[in-house]
Amino acid sequence: MKLIRYCWPLAVAMALIYVFNRAWGTVPPLGKVFSPFVGVLQAARDATTEDTEIRLTGIRGGVVVHYDDNAVPHIFAENEEDLYFAQGYVIARDRLWQMEFYTLVAAGRLSEVVGDAALDYDRFNRRIGMARTATAIAERLETDTVANRMLQAYANGVNAYINQLTYQDLPVEYKLLNYRPEPWSPYKSILMLMNMRYTLNGGSNDPRLSNVLAKHGPEVVANLFPDYPAMESPIVPAGTKWPFTPGHIPPAPDTVADLPDSNPLALRIPEPRPEIGSNNWAVAGNKSATGLPILANDPHLQLTLPSIWYQMQLCTPEMNVYGVALPGTPAIIIGFNKDVAWGVTNVGSDVMDFYRIRFGDGGFEKYWHDGQWKQTVSYVERFKLKDGSEVSDTLYYTHHGPVVYHDERDAGRTRGIPVGYAMRWIANETDGADVLALYYLNRAKSYEDYQEALTYFTAPAQNFVFSSNQGDIAITANGKLPLKWKGQGKFLLDGTLPAHDWPGWIPQRHNPAVKNPARGFVSSANQFPADTTYPYYLGWQFAHPSRALRINERLAAMTAATADSMRLLQNDNYNVDAQRILPYLLPVLAGDDSIRRSAEFDAIERWDYRNDADAVGATIFEQWLADLRRAIWADEFPEAEHLLLPSLDRTLELIERDPGAKWFDNVTTTDRVETMDDIIRESFRTTVTGLRERYGDMTAANWAWGKVKATRIMHLVPNFTSFGRKEVINGGGAGIVNATTGTHGPSWRMVVQLDREWPVAYGVYPGGQSGNPGSRYYDNMIDRWAEGELDTLLFMKHAGERSGRLIHQIVLKPASKP
Amino acid sequence: MLLYLLILLIGGLLAAVGPWWIMAPVCFGLCFFLARSASRAFRISAWAGVTLWVGYSLYLHLKAEADLAGRVAGIFTGGMSGVPGIVVVAAIAALVAGLVCGFSGLAGAKMRQLIRRLPE
Repeated sequence: MKLIRYCWPLAVAMALIYVFNRAWGTVPPLGKVFSPFVGVLQAARDATTEDTEIRLTGIRGGVVVHYDDNAVPHIFAENEEDLYFAQGYVIARDRLWQMEFYTLVAAGRLSEVVGDAALDYDRFNRRIGMARTATAIAERLETDTVANRMLQAYANGVNAYINQLTYQDLPVEYKLLNYRPEPWSPYKSILMLMNMRYTLNGGSNDPRLSNVLAKHGPEVVANLFPDYPAMESPIVPAGTKWPFTPGHIPPAPDTVADLPDSNPLALRIPEPRPEIGSNNWAVAGNKSATGLPILANDPHLQLTLPSIWYQMQLCTPEMNVYGVALPGTPAIIIGFNKDVAWGVTNVGSDVMDFYRIRFGDGGFEKYWHDGQWKQTVSYVERFKLKDGSEVSDTLYYTHHGPVVYHDERDAGRTRGIPVGYAMRWIANETDGADVLALYYLNRAKSYEDYQEALTYFTAPAQNFVFSSNQGDIAITANGKLPLKWKGQGKFLLDGTLPAHDWPGWIPQRHNPAVKNPARGFVSSANQFPADTTYPYYLGWQFAHPSRALRINERLAAMTAATADSMRLLQNDNYNVDAQRILPYLLPVLAGDDSIRRSAEFDAIERWDYRNDADAVGATIFEQWLADLRRAIWADEFPEAEHLLLPSLDRTLELIERDPGAKWFDNVTTTDRVETMDDIIRESFRTTVTGLRERYGDMTAANWAWGKVKATRIMHLVPNFTSFGRKEVINGGGAGIVNATTGTHGPSWRMVVQLDREWPVAYGVYPGGQSGNPGSRYYDNMIDRWAEGELDTLLFMKHAGERSGRLIHQIVLKPASKP
Repeated sequence: MLLYLLILLIGGLLAAVGPWWIMAPVCFGLCFFLARSASRAFRISAWAGVTLWVGYSLYLHLKAEADLAGRVAGIFTGGMSGVPGIVVVAAIAALVAGLVCGFSGLAGAKMRQLIRRLPE
């Protein structure tokens, strides 16, 4: 009794420590997290701005890292291994949590840190094979001396940083989600690249178009889903002669599709994301003010914090390169050196197909192909959950690739890949040499070096734009591209037919490419790489041509171009679709008195076709275009049936050339037949009503495009909304050269003016160098990015160069011998 | 006052190097030797813990170059409350430090009472 009377406070104190020391569900350990001495607020401490010296095991020579006024590290190393070691170390200092997070996503291990909610997502990512492929690539790379040395040195650098970390120093996300970083390895860098492959290529229209084929038949498909758009301006200018004789291309077989015969609900898979795309171009010396090429690139990705890119300069006695790297992978991905500059956009050719598998009786061990039963290979995937428990899942592989789902119950839960369909996807067939392409591009001095570097690149195919200070400009749709019969993989394929297997690969030197074209510029905006004279089949659908049309139109007209001309083009808000279709639509609206007299009609009629932030006309047009497409197609292509809608280009072509098409009639109204004019007017009324409901009556402020579009740049953890930036006001939109939508947009804008002595380069991205939300470099570039400004990049000539922009330096030295 | 200052001083020094709960043994030990009564032990320890944690939190927040406290608090409040983030963060810190230090100090004082009475 006495003991209890005197000892209970001790028991309470210990219980409190226990309670505050551990996580409860999603509530993090409050004691650890909110102690100002070790918790999250530690990340608010002033970042070091004093010169420091750090001794690290693994460094051989000496490395100097200069940080400039934008927190960009300029790394000067005595040798290559130290360079990549330092690159890993320096990126980890700023972005460790982010880079590990991407690898957890690609490896299907997110539920380990965020809990059960991510399990379906993890299962999907394992089932499309990313982690298994990354493992295989990492094993194969061990025999490649150059790539392996680079990846291993990088991993050693990341690990040198991780090993220094105490709880107090951990990035805040680790504290809030209550876990710790694992050691880094080359495998994890490969996972990073797999993640990017999924972002760029991880979608397919095949199931939806197959549903259209089943419902409407081949004639409708041929009419509404043509293999080349009505308006296009291909990457390789029309009329360019192909400098090769094509190899044997197999003819299309009699059966080109394996139509779904069961539950169409089981046929859902993410569509390719139209917001994922990019612009790049280079103008030749005869178009530039300096007489030498200027190159520009802006890859469009989901806008996130921390930012997807990280700026840095990497320098050894043999190499000096500046640009952006992906946190988690060595080398510079988009950048320039003294002699050359390069950039990338996604090709978007069809490199993901689905094969219906006929399994043997009673299981998934055997499948029918080419007249015989073949053996599947199975793997058991294990998932650790945050509470420590484990679940497992069996994954079956055919020679095509993994059977993404084989159980009806799994279909449509998160991604709804077709049940019993195997996926053949280029990302699972890469050999991992991609990092070598970057390695050699970083060192390139000429067009020949660029060509040589590209031979190492596999997936996802990219349009590599190039320019050199010898005056060359070039672009190549480059990567490992399957050689297909015409139309192969437009629909779901039959896994029993050998004729449906990918017959081979397009020889790398036959990839669409052009060097120094007569028109004086090269460009790409994810459109068709080549016109219909190109002998190989790459895919039936590429990005909507509007950005390409605008870029090529402006570049063609450009003379005495400067870096600022390039910047202005990157920020061009001109709406090509509006220019194309409003002359057809507005007269129809004007024919209706009540519409013609409305303020909304007046606004769109007076609009100058620019998606500027303050444009009310842009708000009306963008919403109307969506409503108009719905009004035309929703009756014959009901959303619930998961049908692909005809493209915007085909829709506009119908309005322009075929106003009497039967598709304009709304088949759900049986008592009347609507004309195109009826649909145009009704959809306009729908738009106006909808906008009024959401934003109130039309005023210049309420309906301003920048406000309605409401661009937001959110943190990678969806729940961490307060770590993001909302209501970033700017112009642009889908299909606009300034491709800024609500959630996606230019993730890095770069302009490089080549020079025989020393290039001048500019760049900005919507975020900041630091991944720490307590740093002023977390989001410091967003406002400049939204304004369309570019920073002048500090490209140092050597480690001893003096510049007023250098703030502090870190010297990395070998750990002293014990 | 001496007890309060000693907890601040020793606790603050050890907190810079130890785990977050290092304040607990400090309060326990100092109250064991110095507390004049159990209620004072609780009160003074709790206040000292709160002073230290809230004080250092405010210091970090005021010196910070970005509103980290606001961002962190937003995760817990969903960004809906109109209360500044640092108030939320400091309140949680105060709750944790106050309870843990208070009961640790009380435990120390009670333990002293127990040991004193043992011979009888």
